[in-house]
Amino acid sequence: MLHTQAVFSLIIINKAGGLIYQREFQAGLRKLSTNDYLVLAGTFHGVHAITRSITPKIPLAPTTNSPAASPGTSTPAASSYSYPNPGASVSGLDYLESDKFRLTCFQTLTGTKFLLFTDPMTGNVETIINKIYDLYADYVMKNPFYQLEMPVRCEAFDRHLGAWLRGRT
Amino acid sequence: MTVYSFYIFDRHAECIYKRRWLPRPTSIVGKSGQTPGAAPVGLGQTVKAGDDDAKLVFGTVFSLRNMVRKLGGEEDNFVSFNTSQYKLHYYETPTNIKFVMLTDLKSPSMRIALQQIHINLFVEYVVKNPLSPVEHPGGIGVNNELFEESLEQFVQTRVLA
Repeated sequence: MLHTQAVFSLIIINKAGGLIYQREFQAGLRKLSTNDYLVLAGTFHGVHAITRSITPKIPLAPTTNSPAASPGTSTPAASSYSYPNPGASVSGLDYLESDKFRLTCFQTLTGTKFLLFTDPMTGNVETIINKIYDLYADYVMKNPFYQLEMPVRCEAFDRHLGAWLRGRT
Repeated sequence: MTVYSFYIFDRHAECIYKRRWLPRPTSIVGKSGQTPGAAPVGLGQTVKAGDDDAKLVFGTVFSLRNMVRKLGGEEDNFVSFNTSQYKLHYYETPTNIKFVMLTDLKSPSMRIALQQIHINLFVEYVVKNPLSPVEHPGGIGVNNELFEESLEQFVQTRVLA
């Protein structure tokens, strides 16, 4: 395949599950209607919450000295289970793989979600998504005319985003 | 590699088989208090919990599968997703039976494994069983000894590998 570094599209979802930004960079995925993108954003928002709640819980062996049970972990000492990977906080879907694309989700501390659709072979998606977050912080959040949680219509953001992604490939 | 749970859903969105494996309690930083007498919850112990996580799992894979089909086209397949805590593997047969497995993050792709479970275990011991009904409402016909035993063995070999 020629475009092994392909970045197909970007979607930004606000903390309420509303679609606030959608842009296609390279062809590769099917085109959806605006309504379908809104539905997709809402669905993903819900699914993301569910994937967090179905995290397997590992029961802890009944120990006599419960205070020593979990120092340093986020689980309270009274609970009788821990999570598989106690080093990391419990998150929802991080990335999804299909035959044709890879969907990487990055959630900011304030609950905004960045969804990046890339080719399954694309490496360093983490770097790309962090750069996009940087650009979002610089050109959307610092735009005095931008209203929080509302659709992103910032020309400077579009321009810099496009330029950076073109320069990368 | 650790396998946490395994689900089969039929084409009517019903969970026809569900099994959970409890891994050994994780080693905790100051685990000096671990009494040797207390039997650890061993791998392979089935949990007969009536909670509805199967429904949540179904809702998740159903939505994600539809999303993947919408964006990637009809011939695209949803394979797996990762969170910070676990990995979910998905395989759907042409007859719309869905196999779902939750494992730890270190596990390789389980697509072939789920395919093997379908071909070598499900078809052999459930579909070809003359006493088993065509559909499996409430899991009738799936929870037979032969299928459960061989699934157990299959997962054990994967875990040890």
